[in-house]
Amino acid sequence: MLVVKGAKIYPVIGDVLENGMIVIDSEGKIQDIGADLSVCENARVLDLSGKVIIPGLIDAHTHVGIWGDGEGRAGYDGNEAVKAITGEVRAIDAVNPRQVSFESAREGGITTVQILPGSANPIGGLGFACKTYGTIIDKMVVKSPTALKGATGENPKGAHGLGQKQAPSTRMGIAAMIREYFKNAQEYGQKKKRAQAEGKPFETDLNLESGLMVLNKEIPYRVHAHRHDDIVTAIRICEELEIDYSIEHCTDGHLIAEYLGEKNATAVVGPGLSSSGKVETANMTDANAAILAKHGVKVCLMTDHPFLNCRYFLQYGAIAHKYGLPFAETLRAMTINPAEALGIADRVGSLEVGKDADFVVLNGEPFSYKGSVEETYIEGNLVWQRKLY
Amino acid sequence: MLGIANIKIETIANGTIAEGDVLIEDGKIKALGKDLDLSSCRKIIDGKRRVATPGLIDAHTHLGLSESGVGREGRDTNEGTDPITPFCTARDGINMGDEAFEVFRKSGITVVGILPGSGNILGGTGLALKCRGMIVDEAVLKDPVGMKAALGENPKNAYGGRRQSPSTRMGSAALLRGALLRAKEYFEKLNATTDGSADFKKDWKSEALLPVIQKQIPLIIHCHRHDDIITAVRICKEFDVKYVLDHVTDGYLLKDIIKDESVHCAVGPTLHYGSKVENKERDFRTPVVFAREDIPFCFITDHPIVDGRNLILTASTATQWGMSDEDALKAITLGSAEHLGIDDKVGSLEPGKDADIVIWSANPLEFTSFVDVTIIDGEIVYERSQN
Repeated sequence: MLVVKGAKIYPVIGDVLENGMIVIDSEGKIQDIGADLSVCENARVLDLSGKVIIPGLIDAHTHVGIWGDGEGRAGYDGNEAVKAITGEVRAIDAVNPRQVSFESAREGGITTVQILPGSANPIGGLGFACKTYGTIIDKMVVKSPTALKGATGENPKGAHGLGQKQAPSTRMGIAAMIREYFKNAQEYGQKKKRAQAEGKPFETDLNLESGLMVLNKEIPYRVHAHRHDDIVTAIRICEELEIDYSIEHCTDGHLIAEYLGEKNATAVVGPGLSSSGKVETANMTDANAAILAKHGVKVCLMTDHPFLNCRYFLQYGAIAHKYGLPFAETLRAMTINPAEALGIADRVGSLEVGKDADFVVLNGEPFSYKGSVEETYIEGNLVWQRKLY
Repeated sequence: MLGIANIKIETIANGTIAEGDVLIEDGKIKALGKDLDLSSCRKIIDGKRRVATPGLIDAHTHLGLSESGVGREGRDTNEGTDPITPFCTARDGINMGDEAFEVFRKSGITVVGILPGSGNILGGTGLALKCRGMIVDEAVLKDPVGMKAALGENPKNAYGGRRQSPSTRMGSAALLRGALLRAKEYFEKLNATTDGSADFKKDWKSEALLPVIQKQIPLIIHCHRHDDIITAVRICKEFDVKYVLDHVTDGYLLKDIIKDESVHCAVGPTLHYGSKVENKERDFRTPVVFAREDIPFCFITDHPIVDGRNLILTASTATQWGMSDEDALKAITLGSAEHLGIDDKVGSLEPGKDADIVIWSANPLEFTSFVDVTIIDGEIVYERSQN
C-alpha cells in the first residue's frame, strides 16, 4: 500500500484538494482520496509537500511506438499506404514498446495514449489505447480496438492520387471510397448473419470486419479532417451511415464551431504548437480548442506524436489555455474528455476511488513554466523521474 | 520620440531594471533607466506591471522560403539540383508576404536569420532580416551573414537516392573539401593575375566562396551527430575559414573541443522530436551543458520545422531542465545576435542599439504571457487588441 500526501491535488472529477492524500492499494488502484484520511501503519508514505498532482494525462491521438523516432526508415510503420483501403491493419501489430517515444510520453506526464495508424488512407486500420510503460504491448493495453482510423483531405490525395496515380486523387474520390467501404461492410454483415443463421461456412474478410464493428457501434470511425469542408463531409457521411465518429485534428473547427456544437461532435484538436505546412491547415489558430469548447464541442487535445513531441503536451495545454480555454476545461481536455472519448473512463482520466493510480507530480501549477513534470506514476509505480543533466 | 514608462526592463547585457523608462529616438534606444524625462515623446506606452525585453531573434529559420499554408508552391528552400550551389542567396527566395511574418511579430520576434536548407553541401548565403515590410531589400539587416553548408543525412538523402554524389558522409566531406580547395586556388590565381584578368575564366562557384576563403563570412554548418560536428571542425581548420555550427544536437558530447575552438553554436530545433537517426539524442542536454560551461550558443526553431512562435516556449522549457531564466532569455536574444554577427546593432537593450523591443503582459518565460507590443526600429509593428 502506498500513501501520497502533502500535495495539492487536481482530481479533475471532484473538488481540488489543497493538501490532499491518495491511498493506493497493492493492485495499483486508488483506494481512497481526500483531505485527511486514516492510513494503516505499514503503508509506504510519499511526502510530496509543495508539489502539485494531476491525473496521468491521456493523449487521444498519437503514433507513439510506430513512427520510429530517431530510427529512420527502418523503424517507420505509420501508414500501410500501398493501397487506400486497409481496414485489416492494426496499429498494435507495429508498436515497439521500447521505442524512445514511450519514454517521451512519460516525460510529458502522459500515462495513456491512443495509437492510431497514419492518415494516408481513407480507411487506415484499427487503433487502440495503452499505458505508456511496459515491454509487452499486450500487457499495456487498456482497450483494443478503440477506433477505425480514416482520413480525408490532402494526405490520402497525396499518398495515392498524386504519388501513385491511383484512387483517390480528389476529395470526391475519398468520400466515394469511404461510402463504398461501409456499403460493402453492410452487405458483408448481412451475409455473415445469414450464413451464421443457416449454419453455413463463411469466409471472413478482415478488412470489412473493421467496418462492421463501426456499423455495429462497437467502435467509432475517427476521421482525420483539417479543412472545414472535409470536416463537414466527414459528418455528412457518418450521419448517413448512423455511426459514431470523432473529428481528428479539426483545424478549421473554429470556422464552423456553431455547426459542430449542434452536432454534439467530439473534436480531437492538434497537434498543438505546429506550423502550417499544408494548404488545408492555412487557417490554423491556437484559439481553436477554446472556440470549439465555447460552442459545446467536446474537446480533447492531442500531440499527434511525433508531429508535436509528446514530451511537450503540457506546453500545448498551456497555449490552449492562454488563448481562451478555461483552466479546468483545459485539464479535462487532456484527461477525462479523452478517457470518455476512448471509452476507458472507468479506469483512467481522473483521480477517483476505484480508478488506476496514474498521476503526475508537478513542481508547480499546471500550465506554468514552473510546473514542470517531476515524476510520473502508472498504477502506483514510478515510471519516470526528472534527472537534471 | 517614443517612450515606455514604468516598465520592468530585461536588458540582457546589463541585468534587470526593476522599474524604469525607455526613450526611443530615430529608431534607436536613446536612453533607459529610472526617471527619464519623457516629456518630448509623441507617445508614451504605459509599462506598469509589464516587462520589456529586446526583440527576440531566431538565428536559423526558413521564414518566407518555406511558406505557411501554401504547400509545394511556396517551398523555395533547397536548390536541390546540384549539391554545390554557393551562388544562391536566401534573399532571392524570400516571400515577405508569407503569413508567418505576422505570426513572428505577434510572437515578439523582430530579427530572423534566414538560410537556405540543408539539402546541399553548400547551399548559398543566408541573411539577417528585420520582420517588417514587404520589400526584402528594405528589411535586410545584414547580408550575407554566412555561407550555409550541410553534413550528415540530408545531403546524402537528397542525392544518394538519385545515385549522385554525395551518397555517404565521405562523399559529403570530399565535396566540401573540393569546393573549398578550388575556391582557395582560384583566389590565389586571382591574386597572381595582375593585368585585370583578361584571360581569366570566371568560376561562378568559387567567386561565391571568396568571402569564405577571405574570412569575411563564416560557414554556417548544419551538423547533428558528433562525428559530423568533428568533421566540420576538421575541414574548417584545414582551410582556415571562419565557421559557426548549427543544430549541434550531440554537442554535449564534445563540449571540450567546442570550447577550445570557441565556435558559436545555434542549438535546435529543440522542441522537435528525433526525426532522423542523426538527431535521435535531441533533448535539452546540449543547451543546458553549453550554458553551464559558458559555451556561447543560441536557440533556434528552424521554422517551419518548429513554428517560430514557439521560440519563447523553447527558452521556457529549457528552464525546466535547470537553465537559469537569464541564460534562457539570452539564448533567444543576445546569443542569437552574436551567432549572426549583428550584436553591435541588436540583441540587448542598450543606448545606441536598434529600438527592437517587446513589451510582455508579464514574465516573458511564463507560458501564458502575451506579447502586448512589438517594436522594430522604434515603430510599433504589432499591438495586441485588448478584447
